[in-house]
Amino acid sequence: MSAASTTPAWVEKVQNQSRLSFGLAVTDMAARDDKVVAVSADTLDLIGLREMVAAAPDRVIEAGIAEQNAMGVASGMATTGMRPYLCGYAPFITARSMEQLRNDVAYAKQRVVIGAACSGIVLGVSGGTHHALEDIALMRSLPNMTVLVPADAHEAWHLTQATENLDGPSYIRLGGKMDEPPVTAVDASPVIGKATTLRRGTDIAVIACGVLVVEALAAADELAGEGIGVRVINMHTIKPLDRDTVLAAAAETRGIVTAEEHHLTGGLGGAVAELVAEEHPTRMRFVGMPDEFAIVGPTPKVRERYGMSAANIMAKCRELMS
Amino acid sequence: MARAKKSNREATLDNLRNEALKIRRNVWRALRAAGSGHMGGSLSAAEFLAALYFHHLKIRPDEPDWPDRDRFILSKGHANAALGAVLAQAGFIEDAVLDQFYAYESLFGMHPDIKMAGVEMSTGGLGHGLSIGLGMALGARLQKKKFRTIVMIGDGELQEGSNWEAAMAAAHQKASNLTAILDYNKVQQSGHVSDMLALEPMASKWSAFGWAVREVDGHDMDQVVGALDALPYEKDKPSMIIAHTVKGKGVSFSEDTHLWHNNMVPDDVYEKALAELGEPV
Ligand SMILES: Cc1ncc(C[n+]2csc(CCOP(=O)(O)OP(=O)(O)O)c2C)c(N)n1
Repeated sequence: MSAASTTPAWVEKVQNQSRLSFGLAVTDMAARDDKVVAVSADTLDLIGLREMVAAAPDRVIEAGIAEQNAMGVASGMATTGMRPYLCGYAPFITARSMEQLRNDVAYAKQRVVIGAACSGIVLGVSGGTHHALEDIALMRSLPNMTVLVPADAHEAWHLTQATENLDGPSYIRLGGKMDEPPVTAVDASPVIGKATTLRRGTDIAVIACGVLVVEALAAADELAGEGIGVRVINMHTIKPLDRDTVLAAAAETRGIVTAEEHHLTGGLGGAVAELVAEEHPTRMRFVGMPDEFAIVGPTPKVRERYGMSAANIMAKCRELMS
Repeated sequence: MARAKKSNREATLDNLRNEALKIRRNVWRALRAAGSGHMGGSLSAAEFLAALYFHHLKIRPDEPDWPDRDRFILSKGHANAALGAVLAQAGFIEDAVLDQFYAYESLFGMHPDIKMAGVEMSTGGLGHGLSIGLGMALGARLQKKKFRTIVMIGDGELQEGSNWEAAMAAAHQKASNLTAILDYNKVQQSGHVSDMLALEPMASKWSAFGWAVREVDGHDMDQVVGALDALPYEKDKPSMIIAHTVKGKGVSFSEDTHLWHNNMVPDDVYEKALAELGEPV
C-alpha cells in the first residue's frame, strides 16, 4: 500500500488546523457513539461541524451567541448520559461562561468537553477583547478539570478522541484559521497526562505547549550547533501535569525554560514552577506573554514582539547555561 | 414656507445618504487594506451611523473628550470598519487611519479600541454595550448632565443573555436618556438568525421588557432621521429603534448571507464592490 492510501482521510480535511480536528473528531466519534452531541455557540464553520450537521443534525445543538447558556445546557445534557462537546471561541467560552463552567461543569464533575478555538493571540488583529491569554490559568485553577493544549492538528485529533475515556470535564485549547505546522506524527498516540519528549538533550530542558512547541524545536536545533543539548518536552496536558517528566528534567538538566502562548501568570510556566519549587528546585526561565494587553497586529509579529519565539527561547537557554 | 422647509430636509437627507455611501466605500477600502473583514454587519449599519454622526449626536470632533458630548457605543464591535469610516469622515481621526485597518500597532483593529479618538468603549465581545450604555446614562442623570447615550447592537448579539439583563435594568431605572438601535439584518455568523436561535417576536419582546419601541427601514434615510429626531419616545422609558436592515447592503453579492459576515477582500472583489456602490457626490 502506498503512503497516500494509508493516510487517514481526516488528515487532509483538517488542513493543519486544530480547530477543524476538534469538530471532525467529534463528527467521527458521533458516528460510533450516539451519545456524542455537539453544542455550538455560532461556531459551525469555525469548529468544522458542517459535516456533522449533515450526518446527525439532531445531535448538533446550535445554542446561538450565548456561551453561558450553552455551558449550562452542556452540563445538563451530560447529567442524562449524553457526551456533550461544546464549541466556542477561547476568549468567550471561558471568561464569559466562567461561573457555569466552575459550578455546573467542574464542581458538578460533568463529562463536558470544551473545544476552545482561536486561543492565545491567534486573533491578533482583533485586539485585546479577542485574545485568550488567561484561559489556561482559569481552567487550571478548577478542580476536576483536565487541560489539554495540542501542539498541532494531529495531536488535537487524537486528544479529542482520547477524551472518550475521561470521567470528568476537559478543556482543549485550539488554534484558529491559521496553519499550524505539524510537529507530531499523524499516527502518534498521545496519552492524556503523559508528556512527549521530542529531543533528548541534557543541558537545558524546554517545556513547551501548543504553538510554542515548534519554536522550541527550532531553538533546540540551533542550539545543538552551539554544542548545547536541549531537551524538548511537548507538554500537551497542563493538568494533570506529568510530574515524572518535569521532575526528571529538573534533576537531569541545568535548568528549565517554559514556553507558551499565554500570560506568564498562571499558565504552563506557573504549573511547572509550582511543582519544582516544592519537589526539586532548579533554575527556571519563562517565555510567554508579559503582564500587559497585547497590541493589535498580525499574529506572527505580535508573538515575536512579546518574545514568544525561538529566538527568545534560545536567549533564555543561554542564560541558564551561564 | 412649507416648501422651503421640505427642500431643506431633502437636502439634509441627501447629504446623509451621501455620507452613508462614503461609509460603505470606506468600509470596503479598509477591508481591502486589511485583506479581509466583517463587511456584512458594517454595511447594514451605514445609514444610522451617517445620521448619528452628521445629524443627531452632539459631538465635537476636535474635542473628542468634551465631557458633555453624546455617547455612542458600537456594541457589535466587529462592525468597526464602519465606525472608523464615520469617525474619519467626521474628522475625529485622520483619513489615512482607514488604510491602517488591522495593521501592526494600529489603534484601528478589528474591534473598537477606547484609545482611539471618538471611541467610547473597547467592544468586540458581544453583549456588553447595553450595560455600559446604561452606566453612562445613569452617570449623566446622577451628575445632572444632558448628554444622551446610544448603543448599537446586532441581532445575533441579542442572543447573549446579558442584553436582557441590561434591558430589564434600564426599564427599571426609567433611563429615558438611553437609546438602543438594533441593526436587525436577520443574519449572524453561521447563518440566518431564525435558523440559528430565533428572536422573534422582536418588538413585543422589547415592549414587554419596558422599552418604548419604534420600527423603521434602516436604509430609508427619511425614516432613520425621523426615528432619531423623535427621541425619546416615552417619558421614563428607554427607547428602542428596531432598524430593519440587510446584511452586506449595497453590493449584490454580499447581501443577506452569512458567507459575507467576514470574508476576504482581494483587489478584484474590492473593485466590483466599489463599481456597484457608485461615486459619492
Ligand atoms: C461573546 C462573543 N461570542 C462570540 C463572538 C464571535 N462573533 C463575532 S461577530 C458574531 C456574529 C454576530 O452577529 P450579529 O450580532 O447579528 O452581527 P451582524 O449581523 O450585525 O454583523 C460572532 C458570533 C463574539 N465576538 N463575542
